[in-house]
Amino acid sequence: MALDSRSLKRTLLGTPRARFRGLILLFWVGLSVVVIRLYVVEVIKHSHYLALARENIVKSTPIPPLRGEITDRHGVVLVHNGPEFALFEVPGEVRSPREIGWVASDLGVPVARLLRSTRSLGFVLPSHVPVPLLAGLSMAQVGRVNMDLYRLPGFFIQIMPKRIYPENNLAAHLLGYVGSFTPGDLKSSLYRHLPPGTGVGKSGIEKEYDSYLQGTPGMRRQLVNSHGIMIKSLREKPPGEGQSLRLTIDIRLQTVAERMLGDRRGAVVALDPRNGELLALASHPSYSSGELSQAMSTARWNELVHAPDHPLTNRATQGLYPPGSVFKIVTTLSGLQENKLDPDKSFRCGGTFRVGSVIFHDWKKGGHGTLHLHRAIEQSCDIFFYTLGMRLGPDAIARVARDFGLGQKTGIDLPAELSGVVPDRRWKRKYLHAPWYPGETPPMAIGQGYLTVTPLEMARLMGAVAMDGRMSHPHLRLGKSKTSLTPVGFPQKDFTLVKADLRDVVAAPHGTGHPVNLPFFAIAGKTGTAQVVSNRGPNKNKKRPKADSWFVGFGPFDSPRIVVAVLIENGGDGGDVAGPVAREVFRMYYVTHAAELTPPPPPPAAPLRPGGGSL
Amino acid sequence: MRQEIGTYILKIHPLFLVALGGVLAIDLLTLYSVNPYLAMKQGIWELVGLFVAGGILMVPYTLLVKNARLIYGIVLGLLFVVVLFGHQSHGARRWIGVGWFQIQPSEFMILALILFLTGSLLRNGKDVPLTLGLFAGGALAAVLPAILIARQPDLGTAVELMIIFSVYILLKGIPSRILTISLIGGLAFFPIAWELLWTHLHEFQKDRIRAFVDPASDPSGMGYHTIQSIVAVGSGGWFGQGLSGATQVHYQFLPGAQTDFVFAVFTEEWGFAGALLFLTLMAYLVWFAARTALESRDPAAFYLASGVTGFFLFGFLINALMVLGVLPVVGVPMPLMSYGGSAMIVALGSLALLLNIRFYAKR
Repeated sequence: MALDSRSLKRTLLGTPRARFRGLILLFWVGLSVVVIRLYVVEVIKHSHYLALARENIVKSTPIPPLRGEITDRHGVVLVHNGPEFALFEVPGEVRSPREIGWVASDLGVPVARLLRSTRSLGFVLPSHVPVPLLAGLSMAQVGRVNMDLYRLPGFFIQIMPKRIYPENNLAAHLLGYVGSFTPGDLKSSLYRHLPPGTGVGKSGIEKEYDSYLQGTPGMRRQLVNSHGIMIKSLREKPPGEGQSLRLTIDIRLQTVAERMLGDRRGAVVALDPRNGELLALASHPSYSSGELSQAMSTARWNELVHAPDHPLTNRATQGLYPPGSVFKIVTTLSGLQENKLDPDKSFRCGGTFRVGSVIFHDWKKGGHGTLHLHRAIEQSCDIFFYTLGMRLGPDAIARVARDFGLGQKTGIDLPAELSGVVPDRRWKRKYLHAPWYPGETPPMAIGQGYLTVTPLEMARLMGAVAMDGRMSHPHLRLGKSKTSLTPVGFPQKDFTLVKADLRDVVAAPHGTGHPVNLPFFAIAGKTGTAQVVSNRGPNKNKKRPKADSWFVGFGPFDSPRIVVAVLIENGGDGGDVAGPVAREVFRMYYVTHAAELTPPPPPPAAPLRPGGGSL
Repeated sequence: MRQEIGTYILKIHPLFLVALGGVLAIDLLTLYSVNPYLAMKQGIWELVGLFVAGGILMVPYTLLVKNARLIYGIVLGLLFVVVLFGHQSHGARRWIGVGWFQIQPSEFMILALILFLTGSLLRNGKDVPLTLGLFAGGALAAVLPAILIARQPDLGTAVELMIIFSVYILLKGIPSRILTISLIGGLAFFPIAWELLWTHLHEFQKDRIRAFVDPASDPSGMGYHTIQSIVAVGSGGWFGQGLSGATQVHYQFLPGAQTDFVFAVFTEEWGFAGALLFLTLMAYLVWFAARTALESRDPAAFYLASGVTGFFLFGFLINALMVLGVLPVVGVPMPLMSYGGSAMIVALGSLALLLNIRFYAKR
């Protein structure tokens, strides 16, 4: 067939019949399009659309996992879980903005409170993800809301796990608390898979071991129709419970420590120097983990954050204090190291010490008279250490202080640990842009001035002394952390000497630490009474602030098993104020470990050792 | 006479009867899976439609063409009745009637327009050239009911009327001069016409057009029909999900499952294989209509059969492509398949016209 344009035009477009044939041609073209498209959609992309169809009818709701329990070293439960009712909103299914108002009036809470929840998470999550509005509903609230839920498809009530702290406020700083994750938390891959409303660790152990405690969310799957009405339940994936965590803490020591702190501001650290296990870690003022783990009002939160006595601060790991006379241990060791201290040489303390035009006084008016190192530590003679400090200079003292871990984080498994400051000439030039003045050395030698430490750092230092220069790595998780000791590298005889002196601080009747003395448990230690520039707590009557009290000690003397560091803010005299707190912790340790501590009665045939114990 | 027709059809066109019976059975089966009650009602409508078809077979098509203006006038009158007294349902005023026996005059307008246009293009049974007056008359006859129907609102049927009119104009051929002028004029007036059209469209009709441009823009909103329809078709696979496995239909994710999207339902249930069978049957019916037109010597028979062909061909293609997301959701039902009594009667009636032509044109 010759297909020149004219004949083509005639055949195709010339007559109605020809044009009708064109129409039929169009039909075959259209039909092929239909068939090809059908093939593409139905055969090639079948699995894709089948998955979409499944997604349509299967509604998946995540089930929050149960967080692991936290126990003390003997298995006493410190944190576990209980159920509570929580109200959720699915923003994409809410039909009218007025609905949240109805819900609020049912609950009897201001709308603004519910809106705050929606706005924080609802704006960053996809609109089909449920957002928790309010947790901890009372039965009355559940009842009232439940009656209205049939006309509020965007809202539902779900049972959620709730953190329960059975010992109420015990070890609050240590355990921390949980809370709903914030939009910021979503950036962390740790939280991305969790359903909203799941509690995540916000501080303390709860935060540090969050991934461990968290568990994996389960999935409830239901067949639903296009109106979201459930047709039947499908097999659900149960949530994986988080692993439970055993701490090194001994609840009995923790309880005693907190009870002895009473309502004074301070911290107690009890540490096993042989392996770095923390037996107690107390800080006061405290907060209630249970209260903070629930939704709380902004006013109450602000009250806690801005309280003058800083209840949210863990003073044991975050409080920075001048160590006072406890630091004399470091000065002594530095002197022995530098061969600038002869322990047997006698020294005359006249009560004053002069550097240039500055005169430093001893804490005891008139001085201690003639003494040597042993007595100087025992009675905490300042003039002796001023003199020694001037001879050593700041850099030598700082070097030894750093050897014992001061000025460095201990690496404890708690979030946001702080480290103190160990000043020396370089430090001062770098941070204060000024040279070191000779008059700054004597305060440093007795643990004042720029020097700051945390109670935990001091406990570790004392542990290293007790273990003859082997330093532990403090930790809270039992069994899985580093328990080996790191040698500091000082001669054994230095420690023997210092430890004997420390023993007499407590044992000798005129020792500053004598209030700590227990007849049945050999304790050695050092008191500290650190002058402070300002009062840390509320200062109502504008009096001159009292000194911070310290006692840091270990026991038993022969084979150290426990170090206790006590700090009382603005407590006054170290031995009298901090001492009894430490003593009671030691006493509890003795009571709970009496069987191990009392040596088995020697066979009658053997002769009694002279002196019996170390007393 | 009645027997003559019966034996003629059975003897000469058994394949046509098989195809028609197959499509009607598929229709009932699919509607049964959506809702058994609908299937029962549709079955009754199919019977009514077959009776009407039988009635149409009794009357020679020439007589129908002669009285085309009368028939057209009656149906147009009914459309005005709908405007004035129509029964409202789902926001649309399309029906008149008593009880559940409701009819949609708009559907009958399709048949009436085919007859009317056929009649107006002939003079004493002879084909006449297209004049401007003829063109304007035909246009008016199509546009007037189309506007009435579009305002019901029923965009689908209005579109079908305009398509039928276009088919006739195409067949008559437009002198190239007129074509050029109207093309330029049309292009010049397009923005104004579009503006007018757009402002007169109902919001859901606008949404459908928007959704067609980008179905994924709002999956739960306006593109919902298209997306759910494609998901339904796509989940069918080679052999379908079966009557009970078609989740898109059973869990009510596919709106209009019994009307505009009934083809999607069938495809989800019977898969690509089932769809091919259905397409084959429908294509045979269209081919039968086309053969009827091409084989008839009588211009009246040719135009009448062409109109029926155009109606079937475009109804079928537009609906299938709409279900598959190729065309926007314009609401054109699948002939012989979508639920609806009037549409079924019209579809069966128009097929009866084909047999009518074949029977009477032979003589």
